[in-house]
Amino acid sequence: MGAIDQEALARPRQEKWISVVAYGIAVIVVGILPAFLSSYIQGVITRFLIFALFSVGYNVVFGYLGLPSLGHAAYFGAGGYVIAVLKMHYDIDLFWVGAPLGILMATFIAAMFGILALRVSGIYFLLVTFALGQLLYSVAWNVKWLNTPGMQGIAGLSLPSFGTGGWTLDPISFYYLVLVITVICIYLIRKIANSPFGHALIGIREGEGRMRTLGYNTWLYKYFAFVISVIFSGVAGVLFGYYNYVISPTHLGVGTSFLPMCMCIIGGTGTLLGPVIGAALIIFVELFASIMTPERWPLTLGGLFVLTIMFAREGVGVYLAKLWNKMSHPYGSIKS
Amino acid sequence: MEQFVINMLNGLSYGMVLFLIASGMSIVMGAMNITNLAHGVLYMVGAYVGWTTAVKYGAPFVIGLVAGGLGAGIVGLVIERGFLRHLYKKPNEQVLLTFGFVYILTNLCLWVWGGWPRMPFTAKVLAGSIEIMGKTYPKARLATIIIGFVLAIILWWLQDRTRIGAMVRAGMDNKEMTMGLGINLERVFASVFFVASCIAGVAGVLGAQLLGVYNALGLEILLLALIVIIVGGVGSIQGALLGGLLIGVIDAFGKALFPRLAMFTMYFTMIVVLLLRPSGLLGRKA
Repeated sequence: MGAIDQEALARPRQEKWISVVAYGIAVIVVGILPAFLSSYIQGVITRFLIFALFSVGYNVVFGYLGLPSLGHAAYFGAGGYVIAVLKMHYDIDLFWVGAPLGILMATFIAAMFGILALRVSGIYFLLVTFALGQLLYSVAWNVKWLNTPGMQGIAGLSLPSFGTGGWTLDPISFYYLVLVITVICIYLIRKIANSPFGHALIGIREGEGRMRTLGYNTWLYKYFAFVISVIFSGVAGVLFGYYNYVISPTHLGVGTSFLPMCMCIIGGTGTLLGPVIGAALIIFVELFASIMTPERWPLTLGGLFVLTIMFAREGVGVYLAKLWNKMSHPYGSIKS
Repeated sequence: MEQFVINMLNGLSYGMVLFLIASGMSIVMGAMNITNLAHGVLYMVGAYVGWTTAVKYGAPFVIGLVAGGLGAGIVGLVIERGFLRHLYKKPNEQVLLTFGFVYILTNLCLWVWGGWPRMPFTAKVLAGSIEIMGKTYPKARLATIIIGFVLAIILWWLQDRTRIGAMVRAGMDNKEMTMGLGINLERVFASVFFVASCIAGVAGVLGAQLLGVYNALGLEILLLALIVIIVGGVGSIQGALLGGLLIGVIDAFGKALFPRLAMFTMYFTMIVVLLLRPSGLLGRKA
């Protein structure tokens, strides 16, 4: 008995040591380092955080519930458009007004679209969410009120103000605002995923019929999961509106919808931090490709998707997690 | 009255193109359970190839049709044999892979054909117009209706009246049993995918007469195909035909009667169908 106890005691210490180092690196990279980098790189890391939040939220529906949505950009963009319309038509850039309204708008649209989209399941869910997303895209494209004269989309946005006279946000404090919001949201999603509700979602993914037999109202669970996931899309969209200064119909369209899906698949579907890794990979590949070959970056991005699917199908994140497991369990007794 | 007929003809010709776009994708989805988001890009490849042969090199229109169909078909076959073959029963991976090809092929087309949009072109044989009830009407659109209708009958005959169609339908219902009967389903699937891509290419050449060709076309066409599939139902020629004609006619009348809302009429149709019959008008019940 003694020997077993010792081993059990030894392992957590080993894990703790490694995780302290890993979290330390993470805190330095996202928490301290950006303050000393050029504002361009700060911008890229802000963009990464926003998309990490977007795809972790998306993963609630895609990974845990197993429904492929290809319309989440509609809700993401709706959040951004609320910010933009408030700025353009009412000259309001107060965070306390814009953020709640943007999130409410995204949630409201999702509450309507969810009823339509959840009438079908499986791959048809993808088709319907895609078409509904393009509906918002064409609204934004055609309604004059939603466009700055002379262009598609709304330009001239600014960083939010907080109603504290005299003090305004600069890019680095906005970066920290995004960082704090992202960390809080990912923590909340972790709570949701680990709650009985989250486990019920996985149950529905694995066998909806059984869950129904067990007395779960599966439709309601799916509906709530969809709306919850969209709330986080709304948060990310609001932050993106402030970050990007321009919001255009493209941000509602399928190209943007596709990003969180890719990030989830590349990072590892149904894991909490996989999408974050996927987001990092895609944003930085996008960055390098657009610097090296601005003309051909879609080619690089498409090539990345194809290569990932053919050779790292489980997701790069899952691969890294296995590596992590190996490192933190040097005795080789992995239970996964 | 004559305005009604003109609108109807506009709707039918547009609807025939929509049918051709959607039918291949619908069959691939129904028979092979493959979601091919690159279908719209195959249409675009076909349209570009057809434009090059028929307009740039001045070949007869029929050769343009064949070249466009074969071009898209070969690209489709490469995608299926090289990549999608390894991803049966993995819908999410298929989506990611085919969307990767949307990026790749769109960019390659930009590379080869450049960024400037091609105007809608008309074949020399089909140039000019004829008189219908006192109004002139372009021959090209009438030819589109006829070609689409002929193709619809051929496809329907292939699906419902031939041995290969029976194999495809059997594979749709029960894959294991079909393979157990000694049918080489892999080869059947590869040919289905090839034919579906060819139809997309032919649709591209026909559609280029109405819509022109430009680089963002791939995704727009994909959206139209999806709406037609949602309205008509997955997996049958009849469903795609009904969905395509319905959306085409509704769109034409929408443009004529309420031009400001014309963009939304097809979405509206889709939403109504989703509420009443989620599996599509002629779709099988799930």
